[in-house]
Amino acid sequence: MKRFLTSTALATAMATSLVGFAEARDLTVAAANVSDYLDPGRDHSNVGSQYYFNSFDPLIHKDYTSKEQRFLPGLATEWTLVEPTIMELKLREGVTFHNGAVMTADDVVFSLNRMFQADFPPYQVRMRDRLANFDRVEKVDDLTVRVHVERPEPLFETLLNLQQTFIIPEAYVKSLAGDPTALEHDDYEAFSLKPVGTGPYKVAEFVPGQKIVWERHDAFWGDSAPLDRVNVLAVPETASRLTALRTGEADIATNIAPDQLQLIESDPTLKAEGSVTALFHVMIMNANHPKLTDPRIRQAMSLAIDRDLLNEALWLGKAEVPSTHTMEEFGDLYMPELTTFEYNPEKAKALLAEAGYDGFEITYTSFPTYYTNGLLAAQAITEMWAAVGISGKVDVQDKWSGGSPDMMARNWSNPMYFADPFGSFGVMWAPGGPSESEGRFNTDADYAAVWDKFRFSADVEERKAAYADLMERIAANPPVLPLYRPYESWAMRSDVNWAPQPGHIPYVLDFRAGAISFSSN
Amino acid sequence: MLKHVLKTLARMSVTFFVIVTLVFFATRITGNPVDFVAGEGLTQEDRALLIRYYKLDAPILTQYTAFLGAFVDGQFGLSFMERRPVAEIVVERLWPSLQLLLSAMLVTLALAIPLGVAAAVWRKHWIGSAIMSVVFLGYAVPNFVLAILLILTFSYWLNWLPVVGNATPAHFIMPTIVLSGVLISALTRFTRNAMLDVLGQDFMRTARAKGLPETAVILRHGLGNAGITVLSVIGLQVAGLAAAGSVVVESIFAWPGIGELLVSSAIRRDYPVLQFGVIAVAAAVIVINAVVDLTYAWADPRLRREG
Amino acid sequence: MASLSDTPPPRQLPRFWLEADPTQKLAMVVGAILVLLAVLTPLIAPFDPNAQSLIARLRPPVWMERGQPGYLLGTDELGRDVLTRGLYGLRLTMMLAVLGATLGLLIGGTLGLLAGMLGGRTEALVMGAVDAQIAVPFTLIALFLLTVLGNSIEVMVIVLGLAGWEQYARIVRAEVRRLMRLPFIEAAHCAGAAPLWIATRHLLPNLVSPLVVQFTLSLSSIILLESTLSFLGLGVQPPTATLGAMVGIGRDYMPTAPWIVLVPALFILSVTFAVQILGDWLRDRADVRLRSR
Repeated sequence: MKRFLTSTALATAMATSLVGFAEARDLTVAAANVSDYLDPGRDHSNVGSQYYFNSFDPLIHKDYTSKEQRFLPGLATEWTLVEPTIMELKLREGVTFHNGAVMTADDVVFSLNRMFQADFPPYQVRMRDRLANFDRVEKVDDLTVRVHVERPEPLFETLLNLQQTFIIPEAYVKSLAGDPTALEHDDYEAFSLKPVGTGPYKVAEFVPGQKIVWERHDAFWGDSAPLDRVNVLAVPETASRLTALRTGEADIATNIAPDQLQLIESDPTLKAEGSVTALFHVMIMNANHPKLTDPRIRQAMSLAIDRDLLNEALWLGKAEVPSTHTMEEFGDLYMPELTTFEYNPEKAKALLAEAGYDGFEITYTSFPTYYTNGLLAAQAITEMWAAVGISGKVDVQDKWSGGSPDMMARNWSNPMYFADPFGSFGVMWAPGGPSESEGRFNTDADYAAVWDKFRFSADVEERKAAYADLMERIAANPPVLPLYRPYESWAMRSDVNWAPQPGHIPYVLDFRAGAISFSSN
Repeated sequence: MLKHVLKTLARMSVTFFVIVTLVFFATRITGNPVDFVAGEGLTQEDRALLIRYYKLDAPILTQYTAFLGAFVDGQFGLSFMERRPVAEIVVERLWPSLQLLLSAMLVTLALAIPLGVAAAVWRKHWIGSAIMSVVFLGYAVPNFVLAILLILTFSYWLNWLPVVGNATPAHFIMPTIVLSGVLISALTRFTRNAMLDVLGQDFMRTARAKGLPETAVILRHGLGNAGITVLSVIGLQVAGLAAAGSVVVESIFAWPGIGELLVSSAIRRDYPVLQFGVIAVAAAVIVINAVVDLTYAWADPRLRREG
Repeated sequence: MASLSDTPPPRQLPRFWLEADPTQKLAMVVGAILVLLAVLTPLIAPFDPNAQSLIARLRPPVWMERGQPGYLLGTDELGRDVLTRGLYGLRLTMMLAVLGATLGLLIGGTLGLLAGMLGGRTEALVMGAVDAQIAVPFTLIALFLLTVLGNSIEVMVIVLGLAGWEQYARIVRAEVRRLMRLPFIEAAHCAGAAPLWIATRHLLPNLVSPLVVQFTLSLSSIILLESTLSFLGLGVQPPTATLGAMVGIGRDYMPTAPWIVLVPALFILSVTFAVQILGDWLRDRADVRLRSR
């Protein structure tokens, strides 16, 4: 049966290539995880971020092939700052949603205000950490909108490029539940099961947690999608995911750990593509845990960790170990010259002695599988602690324990939600942000003042100086240690030409025109 | 007989409600789905916001009453993770699990009973030992190790069989082998033991003395009598072993079944799904049990009086 | 001239050894070796089971290319010695299995005894609990227990023990009910014997045989349950080595570093083999003894 299918497929492929439709093709992705819902506004998970870019557009796109920030027209064709707190955007004409509706300013106003003025709790949660400065959007005419912010926003374009600001159709959403003319929470819930956007692929089928099927959206405003159909299947077991590539059941497999790369490299029918992800795996420490209030202990916990060894051992040296909380993608705000974190076991021992560490056990909590190599790193770290005299214990928990007062140390990630330090360190370590509000990190008026400069100053040098100041405070009283930027890999059949693009947030599966092609054999 | 039926039904209903109630309270004590819904990192106020939105802050008894009301109006709520009705999710996943279970059962019955009989009849012979040794492997190797070995051999190296999902009959092969491995082992041993018990008994000697051919003796008289005991065991053992094995099989082969759903919803504290899933599975098992129980009682009148 | 009475009698091998067939003999030998290994582990293991060697991860056994001298059966994903972890795993797993089976026997046996002796509502309650245990997939029960009580070795023993109590309860209850109907028990009742005395003097001796058989058989099912729990991420906490944890975590490395799974899997196989054969052997002997009475 399989041979029959293969030869038919081969014949078809040959026939079509002769006619010149070489790229019209199906693709199957074996994914480690498939989202339970698809709503770009309520989602900021690493799992979700894989699946939105093919079906939705923001107002402002960028050049995703480059690490530098070069903004390009998206659903907006031009934009100007008409006042320091108001940006006016001209919308693209003739954009059709997947359901046939034509995009107008009403849809843009609806999509953005549902986030900026959120009253639906899942949106409120997403809005607060990065869109708090956005007040509202108003319609000027059918193809013009104005976005109002509270304070002058140095990251205007960056934030209008966010996944959470992807545009969705108003009338469609309202029609999904209850009264078709009214906006209800049930409408939003229903939308996350039957999403509709403007992107080159429409969601033809969605079984939460198991399967997503994309089909080419013929009326897409930009370059036509290269693939007819993409099937994304959830295949949680690593061995099965890789095997699916060999049997041809899948063309691409996600979440391949470095330990599996050798298997792929030795196989001529497969290849691996990877990149250093725009995300840090971090260790966080609870500054308010009664036994950890002395910053010297936390400094010791940090200094004891040989991150370069972790890199060599767990990542084949392919991960990137940062000296401070910074990434190249930040452009002008990239600050590799700062040395906030280092490996110094002797100093660790000295600090422990100074602080009078009496040998109490420090638990390092870890998710079992959520972070690649997370559990391995946890075990390695507790051993490194033992080498400087810290009695450590690994605690595996499925539950997020960042807010628990008993949490001592645990793993976490600080993704780059957008290409600016505010989009990484900023989201997580702001005054009143997720970390402080979970009760494990403290800020004071000083910190808040420096913070404000870092966040809102229009002058790059001033922002950098403020950031350096913040990093010094972090070193003096550490709540976090960025371990490395993990090297994440995708495995695929050798005829697939696809790789993660440097301009995206982590994990995006981009199958738009130019992002994927196939070598003919 | 009717009295027995009614008593059984009554007992089963009580058990069912006890299970359902225990699951309800147990899950709520052990954690909050909000901690899983939002991944990593929520401010405390956002967490409180979501708890209020999902109505998880209602007093537990209020939640329980609302839950009991679901048995009346059939509205068991939405999954916290998937935001669609739990009945839809569970039913969707129940059928593939049943298909796999049936296929494993057919294979098990087809293989285990003849093998068990053969092992009993030829117990002094090397055939008997050989059968028991091979069958033993199906039990002694952890099922996920067996599964991965099969995948690596038949899919990865030989490329004969598919590995993802349940789309075609070929997809059933490896999952069925893995699931039935343990079942075949258990049932073969059990059949063998039941046959051994029976082979020595008086009525067998009578049948032979009557001059019946050995095969007829074994099959009609031996198996017939052993069959009752085997039958009573099948229902329970199968349910238990299959449930344990199905989670593993479903995860590894990406089989959209209910075993995996139960475990993942338990881990993520998706209460509505977990509750309804347990209700569905418990009800199914209880019904199977009751049917087996009643069949056994019907088949062997001696037992009815003990009821 | 030497006579028969002069030569010392040949040393007698124990009867049970002589009567056993080759497979059973093998099982006895294997069982003895395993117990010996488990007991002597701290003395014979070459390394500390948790000693990592991050630069020597995933090394194959010493006779293969890239093998690291000293690490006879290779290293695992954190550079720990597989042989050492296998031995400690064997030790811990066997301990967990024995403790768990004992707990199951105590709980199930006691409840079964009460159900059989007292009948009525007690029996209905116990049998109801048995039904409930069967109806709910044990993985859920395990998950609940591990979450509420924490994920420690002690809790694991409880979980594993609870996994099989209903088998004991059913066996004991059935047997007790049968025995209670026998004339000599009735006679004891009439003579005014206290229930506890009846239980210990008359019932327990008859229960020993089926209980021992079930105990032996349940050892292997507990070991396999432990590995399933590890597969689901519910097993013992790392870095503790049990056979199930090694197999569960090592499965990702089966194509590239199969020794990580093979060593514990072979141990599991051996223990299961020894336990099953010996359990059957015990059952056969018990039956023979009963029949010859």
